[in-house]
Amino acid sequence: MTGAPARRRPRLAPYWEFMKVAIAREATYRFGVFASLAAFFMRVYLLRMVWLALYAHNAAPRGLPLHVMLTYTTIALLMGLVLDIDQTRALHDRLHDGSIATDFMKPINVPLFFFADGTGEVVFRIVLLVPALGLALTLVHIDVPSFAAGAAFLLSFTLGYFVGFFLNFILNCTAFWTLEISAVQLIVTWLTDLLGGELVPLALFPAALGRVAYALPFAAMFSTPLSIYVGLIRPAEYAGAFAVQTVWLVLLAAISAVLWRAGARRIVVQGG
Amino acid sequence: MRVGTKLDSRMPIIETVGLRKVFRSVKRRPGVGGALAALFAPEYEEKVAVDSISFTVEPGEVVGYLGPNGAGKSTTIKMLTGILVPTSGTLRVAGIVPHERRVANAENIGVVFGQRSQLYWDLPLRESFNLLRSIYDVPRDRFAGNLRRFSEMLDLDAFIDTPVRQLSLGERMRGDFAAAMLHDPQIVFLDEPTIGLDVLAKEAIRTFIAEVNRERGTTVILTTHDLADVERLARRIVLIDDGRAIYDGALERLREEFGTHRTLVVTLAQAYDGVVVPDAVVESREGSIVRLRFDRRVTSAEALVRAVLDRYAIADLTIVEPDIESIVRRLYLDGYAGTPGHA
Repeated sequence: MTGAPARRRPRLAPYWEFMKVAIAREATYRFGVFASLAAFFMRVYLLRMVWLALYAHNAAPRGLPLHVMLTYTTIALLMGLVLDIDQTRALHDRLHDGSIATDFMKPINVPLFFFADGTGEVVFRIVLLVPALGLALTLVHIDVPSFAAGAAFLLSFTLGYFVGFFLNFILNCTAFWTLEISAVQLIVTWLTDLLGGELVPLALFPAALGRVAYALPFAAMFSTPLSIYVGLIRPAEYAGAFAVQTVWLVLLAAISAVLWRAGARRIVVQGG
Repeated sequence: MRVGTKLDSRMPIIETVGLRKVFRSVKRRPGVGGALAALFAPEYEEKVAVDSISFTVEPGEVVGYLGPNGAGKSTTIKMLTGILVPTSGTLRVAGIVPHERRVANAENIGVVFGQRSQLYWDLPLRESFNLLRSIYDVPRDRFAGNLRRFSEMLDLDAFIDTPVRQLSLGERMRGDFAAAMLHDPQIVFLDEPTIGLDVLAKEAIRTFIAEVNRERGTTVILTTHDLADVERLARRIVLIDDGRAIYDGALERLREEFGTHRTLVVTLAQAYDGVVVPDAVVESREGSIVRLRFDRRVTSAEALVRAVLDRYAIADLTIVEPDIESIVRRLYLDGYAGTPGHA
């Protein structure tokens, strides 16, 4: 863990297995699956009610007619099914109960193990997402983007996913020092929901708050891909949007690496 | 797959010289005020967990690594497994400095913690084995052979397809042992492997360790509080106390050197008021049964028996050898001044 020389090419097979095991594990908790799907449909329904009521009494904001708003909300909640996962929760859990020591006693790259484990959970959720998306399309009549916008959305969503992944990893890494992270995690969840544009498009924010929101990494998770989907970001602006997401991705990945190294060092020097 | 340096069979498989580990931690002070003070103006204190431990282990040895709680046992194990960097001193495990090449070292070792499972809680035992096959890159035929052999030795077939969370502690431990051995480690570290198990499960585990050691020449480092584990498995023990090795040598020699006291248990044939025998101390008396403790350096059992027969009418006699537990307890209390090399 501390600069061991790379003797041979790391084998990826174990990480593939970790992912499959995580999928199998998630599948054993079927109740959680149904609960999150039920919560999703409830949230879509409630937000739809809110926007219908608001739009009935007010003029539509510029560039955001009702059908765009309903599309935005539905897609945001669908993305939330994946982006709201605490992918590297296992790191926090294993630091908390001390079993991280046994992970270090295995011939594996430990952060890659957590990454594979979280990816398994995400893959499982995405399998759920497909039927949810089908239902959302028939019930809520959301807009279908052009092929170019759809492809750009998928790329932007992927970048946003990794921004969220490293943000989550950083949070779980703080458990190296604090052991307990639930309060901080709750705050970050609220910030992501609000300042990321999951609940309300950032375009509707008052100017100052909007500037703050655009300057934070949370916007890279929800607002950017969503704005591409509904056309608030035009094709000419795609490159710039991807670039900002990439900068956040690289920055958060670098912070993750530094924190992981410091945390692992703390374990090997202080014994956890 | 072996990554370690090719070993000369005469070379020790584990070698530590002057191994030392000092932890620095924030001093805890009482109360909320103390907690706040520690938060903003921390005072540090140093704790020497392991203080200059040197020992070597030959391939195929079974060594009992014993000591009271907090003596430094698990700190030593953590350094040998490469997850803790020593403060000073040197160590080599199968030719590798563990903390410098953690992953390479991990391929050579197996670890079992009695208090902590490495199995996947939600999945059948078999899934954990398959995952370990992939982690250690065990060739498939080798894996199948090992699994067959371990299933037979540990009777795994009855529960191999049951989710681990539904297993009893005894079943789970048997699963954990198979899991730790599937990749044919050269060395296994066993930390309290029989804790909480019933007599039958303990016996199954001990038999398994002994067989694996005999069949495969696996080196075993055994940390335990259950001295029956040690008596059954280890010919050699390293006793540590307060971060230092206070004894390193054959279990038998420990008994010979320190087990100088024996007990003569006498069942009296008649009622006597007081029992007094020269060169012996009455340890206890319950009705007609009297326990006489004597030092074999002062008097022989034969002389003592004669002295008893001269004075009292007796119905029965037995001599009780000192058990290893009482010897170890005495060593912890009195310390051991000698500097034995191991036999």
